[in-house]
Amino acid sequence: MKTIQQISLQQINLSDETFSVNFMPDLQKLQSSIERIGLIQPVLLRRKGDKYQIVCGFRRISIFQELGNKEIESSVFEEKERDEFELFSISLHENLTSRGFNTVEKAIALDKLIHRFQIDPVNVIRSFLPLFSLEPNEKILSTFLSLAGMENEVKRYILEEEVSRSNIRKLSALTSDDRIALLPLISLLKLGENRLREILTLVEEISKRNGMKVRDIVHRPEVQSILSQKELSSSQRTERLRKVLTALRYPRMHEMKERFEKKRKDLNLPSNVFVRHPPFFEGRGLKIEFQFENLEEYRSIVSSLSKLQEKKEFQEIVLGDM
Amino acid sequence: MIPFKIGKIFLDGKSEEDWTTQTVLKALPQMPVERVQDKRSLIKKFLSLPDPIGAGKKNLFITRFYGRRLKPCPGTSDHICCGYHVINAITNCPMDCSYCVLQGYLNNPFLTLYSNWDDLVEEIGSFLAEHPHSFFRLGTGELSDSLALDLIFPISQLLISFFAERENAILELKTKSAEINHLLHLNHRGKTVFSWSLSPTKMIEEEETRTASLEERIHAAQRCQEKGYPIGFHFDPIIFYEEWEKGYQETISSLFRRIDPKGVIWISLGGFRYPPQLKNIVKERFPGTRIFLGELFPGRDGKFRYLREIRVEMYKKMFGWLRNVDPGLFIYLCMESKEVWEEVFGWAPENSHHLNQLFEERVKEFI
Repeated sequence: MKTIQQISLQQINLSDETFSVNFMPDLQKLQSSIERIGLIQPVLLRRKGDKYQIVCGFRRISIFQELGNKEIESSVFEEKERDEFELFSISLHENLTSRGFNTVEKAIALDKLIHRFQIDPVNVIRSFLPLFSLEPNEKILSTFLSLAGMENEVKRYILEEEVSRSNIRKLSALTSDDRIALLPLISLLKLGENRLREILTLVEEISKRNGMKVRDIVHRPEVQSILSQKELSSSQRTERLRKVLTALRYPRMHEMKERFEKKRKDLNLPSNVFVRHPPFFEGRGLKIEFQFENLEEYRSIVSSLSKLQEKKEFQEIVLGDM
Repeated sequence: MIPFKIGKIFLDGKSEEDWTTQTVLKALPQMPVERVQDKRSLIKKFLSLPDPIGAGKKNLFITRFYGRRLKPCPGTSDHICCGYHVINAITNCPMDCSYCVLQGYLNNPFLTLYSNWDDLVEEIGSFLAEHPHSFFRLGTGELSDSLALDLIFPISQLLISFFAERENAILELKTKSAEINHLLHLNHRGKTVFSWSLSPTKMIEEEETRTASLEERIHAAQRCQEKGYPIGFHFDPIIFYEEWEKGYQETISSLFRRIDPKGVIWISLGGFRYPPQLKNIVKERFPGTRIFLGELFPGRDGKFRYLREIRVEMYKKMFGWLRNVDPGLFIYLCMESKEVWEEVFGWAPENSHHLNQLFEERVKEFI
């Protein structure tokens, strides 16, 4: 039976986080609300020995303490009144109706259900995923459980950048050390969803293909130099990083592009004439594009194009001999 | 005894009386059977499972198929194809190769046997009779492994006997199995080609779950060859990995220690390729796979293939190793461009029709 009473903050065990799922709580709004109109709803506590355990109201109690209050209005459960899982469920439901949970908090809650309260995963999928507005399937549960196991700085990044579930799965495939090594790089670049996926895929595949650790890829001088070039915008840095990683991931393609580029330069074509290879060098269709503004320019381009066929480099490009 | 596990038979009510169904039920008397009235709901239920493809492989669905079941192989646009015809007797496969294109292609995840067998035979018979002056190559190995369900329903036995009587067609049974005992005694009249898909042992172990080992496949091929069957081999997909040259050279050496090249009707070469949607499916189902680590790029048909330079290098080397065994081997490329044919062989068929003619000539040398 719970009774409402004033409980001294000193009697509340603030370090007991059995029922807490808080991660990066936004206390600002709640604090100004409490300052203006006080506590609207009592916190939920459970008597435990000669102290009280917080069931629901971690943020409110923390603000009360911050504001120098000595006690707080509380509803109290007796120690044996409800088991821990029931109390955790009450806490989840109460929080859901009042503030909702962010992605990491959902992950922490699901992790506690499985690992702390030993709830059967099938039951968690069926009963709790819909509660968090998540599709009830194994893949979603495993994504959130992997997020719960990640380092706090990575969780913070995921929350701040609103990283998608598919990218969370990609991050979860890395070791803890690799995630930590990669974090400064991806944080700095301010990557959107697709770019992040691309970079994570490249890094993962280079690592598997070349038998390299992700942290060794990140620490390569050509990658580090991108980080240190402060004058570049984040999109310029991202573009450079993509180039470096793509060259590592696709070395033969990179060599072909370089050879093509060298031969193209050796043609000494005017700057308004472009020779392009077929996409991914598939097929033999070369493309020449040019741009002109007057007849004189046009004549000059046509004249330089007419001499192309005699050039060794051009013949090699046409024959695909690269 | 079937070489893989079926957990349950789902039986479409409309198939209940078909003799095909009765044959399967007799072959698997202990198997739980669930009668199904609404097959769409059943398929929908399975598609919502975490791994519908894996689950589908462990359950046999017996139903009827009312559409056309003999179709030209769709091939791929802008590439030279061989003019093959696909027989849809069963779909899906109990084997589980990481690279299998069926994973992204079939909308029914079940290992499915179509019970209106007589309709299929009639369709094939009519088609062949309508084109008496053409010659066809037909096979059951595109939508499943040809021998997948033989031990519970005699698909291959029936087809071998059927094709033995046809003058204008040859059947190809394409497999990664070694379960061929039941087919050795048949009077095939040389009108059935037995072909095996081959990969180096390392690739079989890493990427081809529940298939026969290389040694078992070669041994099975040898036994079929001894019984007078024309034999074919498909190095498809050829996978580029660090020691691919050693792997494929050893595979070819092992093969021709047992197989007489003069009895090999054809050998195909095809680099690993995949439609874009396959990668995510495979990475979910086979997180440890290394097949996507090569340099693969989208081609003119949208499918990803190895960089052309790499494909040409692989084909040229494979062609050289095979030609060293016997210069008379009939070797072709599967779903490749004319440019690649020219770079590899120094010539190319004019078009898909021309390649089909070359096959016809090759078949006539054998029958």
